[in-house]
Amino acid sequence: MIKRILLLTHLCLFALTAAAQDYSALVSGKEKKGTDVSLSRPLQAGVLFGVGYSNQLDTYLSPMEYSGYQLSFLTSRERFTKWGDDNVSFQSLVQGAYSHTKNPARTATAWGGRLAYDAGWHYHWRLTDRLSLKAGGLLGADLGFLYNPRNSNNPAQGRFGIDISASAGGCYRFNIRKLPVRLNYQADLPLMGCMFSPQFGQSYYDISEGSRDHNVCFSHPGNALSFRHLLTLDLEFSRASLRFGYMGDVRQSHVNGIRMHDVGHSFMIGYVRYLKILKRNER
Amino acid sequence: MKDKLLLLLALVLGLCSCQRGESEYDETPQGNLDALWTIIDQRYCFLDYKEAELGISWNDIHAKYSARLNPKMTRAQLFEVLCQMLGELKDGHVNLSSSMDLGRNWSWKEDYPLNLDEELRDAYLQTDYNLASGLKYRILPDNIAYVVYESFQNGIGEGNLDDMFYSLRMCNGMILDIRGNGGGNLDNETKLASRFTNEKVLVGYRSHKTGTGRNDFSALEPEYITPSKGVRWQKPCVVLANRSCYSAANTFVRDMKEMPLVTIMGDQTGGGSGLPFSSELPIGWSVRFSASPSFDAKKQQIEFGIAPDIPCSLDAGKAAQGIDSMIEEAREFIGGQTS
Repeated sequence: MIKRILLLTHLCLFALTAAAQDYSALVSGKEKKGTDVSLSRPLQAGVLFGVGYSNQLDTYLSPMEYSGYQLSFLTSRERFTKWGDDNVSFQSLVQGAYSHTKNPARTATAWGGRLAYDAGWHYHWRLTDRLSLKAGGLLGADLGFLYNPRNSNNPAQGRFGIDISASAGGCYRFNIRKLPVRLNYQADLPLMGCMFSPQFGQSYYDISEGSRDHNVCFSHPGNALSFRHLLTLDLEFSRASLRFGYMGDVRQSHVNGIRMHDVGHSFMIGYVRYLKILKRNER
Repeated sequence: MKDKLLLLLALVLGLCSCQRGESEYDETPQGNLDALWTIIDQRYCFLDYKEAELGISWNDIHAKYSARLNPKMTRAQLFEVLCQMLGELKDGHVNLSSSMDLGRNWSWKEDYPLNLDEELRDAYLQTDYNLASGLKYRILPDNIAYVVYESFQNGIGEGNLDDMFYSLRMCNGMILDIRGNGGGNLDNETKLASRFTNEKVLVGYRSHKTGTGRNDFSALEPEYITPSKGVRWQKPCVVLANRSCYSAANTFVRDMKEMPLVTIMGDQTGGGSGLPFSSELPIGWSVRFSASPSFDAKKQQIEFGIAPDIPCSLDAGKAAQGIDSMIEEAREFIGGQTS
């Protein structure tokens, strides 16, 4: 079953990546006819690094909430496609985080890591010259762990899941003196998916020996209410933008009798570049 | 426009506050006792069995030990009360761990004769024994292999086992002495046991909890030992055990009991058939407990140990003369098998 899910994930991610590449080829094709649309549809590539607060709970490891700091990064790539009269954009996000947390009594430490990939499309409504809103969907895969070295046969919890998320946001443009500024917001809410979880008292040793007991669970907001939201402020200079942001990321689940939450609040800084995609003979 | 921005800000702040709190217990002595009692009540896998065997009631234990608490008691006093509460379970896999002490109940070995004299055992091994990772071995004068494995924490590789069994191949039999082996890594015991069978053998069953209810267990899953692809032992073997054989060593004896040419001699093992998990209390102390039970091939509990095929004990009088009567009985048994 897990193999099938992994295969499905690979296929979906491959399809999304291929779709983005196909789009680049389409743009190049238009350039051949003399219409330089690539500049009007630049690739917006952003990188953000953050530091913040992490609060984690996994009752498979401990009934106590652990809190501490987290380091994170988020790379984003977004580009308008030619679909929907140039109102549809393709976006891909890669998010990573490392957390170092302690129990309330400060006698134990846990380390966590997470890598997530999301990709999908948004439809944009340009309400005014300054304000636009967007809504769409993302397909994502999530891989992570939480390690508590003090535990005996349950020292760590592994996390793996795929999901489909609703995504919405907006963008507001204004100037500070003569400097163009852009305020962006995006919220992603997983609607359904599936995730790995050991059974309530099942050890990873048992799983490694072939034991299977509802280890792949259907996830939905009823048992895994999670969301991520990102608020950024771009100071737009000539070739790139300086980006400041806040990312709130809440992952929760309650499956197989195991409660989990991984809450992170990070303040982030980075940059955004606007890239023109060249066709092969222009390089 | 300001209204829209305010709405957006409200949405952001609203989503930030959606996290759920989970910690239900406070850091008072009563809060810690309640947390510990609940962990055992919901996650300990032998509660019904222990209540039946030991004549205890976990519900009554909560009241009994709550009465010993007071809000002004010191951490050391609280630790003592909680350890006494856990001690009612008589389980070597149940520990309360703090920076000042390790709470434990080792009655499984402390209440019985040790049946092991390590100096005597060393005399049988002498000083020029072979040492293959965690395995000590030599050939006794009557051409019987004598192998000592003191802890399943000591890793053994397939290469170690191949070399050891190959070098002992001309022996008439083997004494595998695991007295005092308190357990360790289950992979090591499986690896060693797989050298004693030419066929896949059903050795027992295991289960795990599926919820907080006392009877929330998964169906029993069979456990097998499959023959190693390396060198396998084809002659009589005696496993020497005592009350200090616990946890993985207990599982090893369970497995070896099903092997065709193996005889278990010595004392009953100490038990410890629950795979331990860990949790913690609000005060920060770690608690370890049996979480997943395993059973023998007849689906019987082995939490309180496994009886030997041939009981024998260490004769103090012979020990004073430098003779380990248990090793001698094992040599005699193998001699009788091969003659």
